Amino acid sequence: MTTQPISIAQHRFGFGYYRQVWWNWLIGTAFFCGGIGASLFILSLLTRYRFGMLLGYLIVVVGKNSAHLMYLGRPERFWRAAMRPDRSWIARGIWATGLFAISGFVLLLLEFVNPQALPDGMNLAARAVAIMSGLFIMFYDGFVMNHSTAIPFWNTKLLPLLILMYATLGGTTLSLTLRMLQSYATPEVKWMEQAEPYLLLANFALLAIYLLRMSRWSPAARETARMWLKGSYARIFFGLIVAVGLLATLALSLVQQQAQGRGLALIIAGCELTGDFSLLMLMLKSGLFAPQTAPAFGR
Amino acid sequence: MARLGMVIDLKRCIGCNACTLACKQENGTPEGVHYARVITREVGTYPKTKRTFLPVLCNHCDDPPCAHACPSGATWVRDDGLVMVDREKCIGCRACAVACPYMNRHFIEKGLLEHGYSADGLSPYEAIKFAEFDEGTMTKCTLCAHRVDQGLEPACVITCPTDARIFGDLEPAEGKLQKLIQERKGWTLLPECSTKPSVFYLDE
Repeated sequence: MTTQPISIAQHRFGFGYYRQVWWNWLIGTAFFCGGIGASLFILSLLTRYRFGMLLGYLIVVVGKNSAHLMYLGRPERFWRAAMRPDRSWIARGIWATGLFAISGFVLLLLEFVNPQALPDGMNLAARAVAIMSGLFIMFYDGFVMNHSTAIPFWNTKLLPLLILMYATLGGTTLSLTLRMLQSYATPEVKWMEQAEPYLLLANFALLAIYLLRMSRWSPAARETARMWLKGSYARIFFGLIVAVGLLATLALSLVQQQAQGRGLALIIAGCELTGDFSLLMLMLKSGLFAPQTAPAFGR
Repeated sequence: MARLGMVIDLKRCIGCNACTLACKQENGTPEGVHYARVITREVGTYPKTKRTFLPVLCNHCDDPPCAHACPSGATWVRDDGLVMVDREKCIGCRACAVACPYMNRHFIEKGLLEHGYSADGLSPYEAIKFAEFDEGTMTKCTLCAHRVDQGLEPACVITCPTDARIFGDLEPAEGKLQKLIQERKGWTLLPECSTKPSVFYLDE
């Protein structure tokens, strides 16, 4: 007996793929702020760029946490989210964000008030904790999403890597833009300018590999990949994520290496961050659950 | 220790949704929240078409992804295998809903408990039952734990007019549930998700 092709179910009593409807733009914003904020902070810490450290810190501590709190059904119980780090990636993320907030605050105090206030050993320890917790914040969202097998398009080891790469790219772009806006001419600006195109190409390649893999994965993953490449999300994918976020940013970055300008730096940042944010939002919005089938359903 | 579960005979299910309504009545769930439901699908091409029915509910998995995803420990598993939600601990992050492959977790949105199924506000029954829910938290099927603890069967089981649902202990190898599963080659939904569900289906 032939059956109709499987489509997206319009309601829970219907058969088909079910859309992921719980994690929305607030979660996307939290993931976005966590990634670029932590990346900006780490880069700035390593290159002694105080303003970048401060902004990155605020993006994570204020931006990410605010978005999470606004999303929670019971925000007054947020502290309970730290209860199960033994099995929950969200709980581990809470701990990492807490460690980042404390160590980052200490380092900012040192930078802005008195760099010699702490002994070298403690200074080094604070830097290590800040960098490690910041790195964790950059990629743990990928593990939060890929941990469950429920949404096949997310259930791949490539997802944390993709999220980490985009966070690195976002932080680098932001760091570069801020320095150019402040006419902060240091050797770091040069190598960041040179690294930017390679990061963009690496992200492009990784995104292509991700979609290629998903196009051959389970039916729900294949359906999401189809929606990205040929279906209802193709405009967002090719328009915002590829054309604006990657290709336009790449072209403008190459131009910037020859003809620097503050306006150009702002446009580059706008393009890249638009692509970055759009990727996270599309990833969340397009997640599909596999249909619950039975032999009689033509499984 | 017992491991409570259910076997659903798809050859008997007629898609009447009595289980859906019985569950809603027993648990007093708000509008849009259905612990038990029947997924309907038309198969075949004209003139050889038919409607097929798949009753679904929380599978009370032996390896529940919702419990693993829960950061606060609000989702927990009883000794008898029933997966429960402690609404006092739930923070409403909805990680469990994203983790559940079976779409059987339900979020109580703000404002959902302020109106019932009637335009005249909450009925007396709804006023009592809605007090068992908290806005901003998750809820789910408990296999009528409040009935099971009194030696009764879940509401969906006793209501089914065709006796398509059989409830009991999955542990004894010679028990009625395991016999049915083995004799009629029972299967579970989405086995590739490795959740080890406690709800089995029969269609042979």
